[in-house]
Amino acid sequence: MAAGARRAVYPLFQRGGPQLRIFRPNFFMLAVRPGVPQPEDTVQFRVSMEMTKVDIRNYLERIYNVPVAAVRTRIQYGANNKRNHRNQRVKKPDYKVAYVQLGQGQTFQFPNLFPEKEQDAETRAFDDYRDKFMEKEKQKQEGDPRRGGVPDWFGL
Amino acid sequence: MAAAAVAAALGRSLTAALRLPWARPGLPGMTLNLCHKNLPKAETLHQVKFLHTTPSQRGLEEFFDDPGNWGEKSVKSGDSWNIKQLRGKSSEDLHKLWYVLLKEKNMLLTLEQECKRQRKPMPSPERLEKVETSMKNIDVVVREREIALRLLQTGHEKPVPGEWRNDFLGRTFWYSYKEWPIPWHLNKKHKKKRFYYLPHVNHFIRLRLEKALRKRARQQNLEKMREKILERKFPGVAVKSQSQ
Repeated sequence: MAAGARRAVYPLFQRGGPQLRIFRPNFFMLAVRPGVPQPEDTVQFRVSMEMTKVDIRNYLERIYNVPVAAVRTRIQYGANNKRNHRNQRVKKPDYKVAYVQLGQGQTFQFPNLFPEKEQDAETRAFDDYRDKFMEKEKQKQEGDPRRGGVPDWFGL
Repeated sequence: MAAAAVAAALGRSLTAALRLPWARPGLPGMTLNLCHKNLPKAETLHQVKFLHTTPSQRGLEEFFDDPGNWGEKSVKSGDSWNIKQLRGKSSEDLHKLWYVLLKEKNMLLTLEQECKRQRKPMPSPERLEKVETSMKNIDVVVREREIALRLLQTGHEKPVPGEWRNDFLGRTFWYSYKEWPIPWHLNKKHKKKRFYYLPHVNHFIRLRLEKALRKRARQQNLEKMREKILERKFPGVAVKSQSQ
């Protein structure tokens, strides 16, 4: 693939031709938390459908400097059992899953991206909101200050 | 990655500078020339020497955000790269920036997927759009440069040559040439294709044209009618919208 974001035009394969090179790859690759527990050295990724095992190895080794021992891939079939309001089947897109075994005895544990922070800011915001609400309610109860304490009932 | 690329480029230029004088021992006249050519390179090397570049060793951690941002509700981010800024960059810089953005995109996609899984709102999802627009802009700029270079070198604007052709029904389309493993007169399938039309098709071309014209006229009439009805219902609407 010679170009980045658009559909690539590959040259016809001929023996002795130059190796295919990618200059601006638009392949994405996202690490996911494995649903089924995996060995310590295995990382699960979701990758672009066009990527091959060799591509995945090169991607990780060249761009991310991660030693790779083995790559296995499969294609996950997206469910199509949902129906829309016209009772037509709605298909979820398929995606490719890659299981990458790290080399050089490296291990990987998917981190917790939402650690329990001390509820400082949130509680403060909540308190602020409650105070404001209570103040508003109090003002409502008191009514119009220009009426000098005369209840609404007597008004026009 | 950018740092790695710089280091690689540095190493390459260094090796080139070292190797070239004795690369062709049979051509003693050439060596002097090559040395002369390498002089500016050596100067740039001298300037670059003070730039510390170490390849990042974060590895798989680059798939995740900075640990300080974990669990935050929103993460601050700058603007996306616009075309004007990118046009001022060198091709090498654009290349490096592409990889930086690619890593950022992967990181954000990982975060998005994890948020979906845990059913939590993604912190600052607009970052993903910004990265994507930046990448699109880089692509536009690089393509512009490629086209300019191609125009200078070959006079062609498109990377793949082609021409306008007719099919057997007289429809015109852009046919881009492609490489074939065998010559065309041996290719039975290709020989079966017809890139011309017979005179009796002229009538149908005319009909097709009429149909297209009628469709366009009908749409325009419909639009006009709609405007008229709106004008009758809400007089002065168009004037108001113009004034605002």
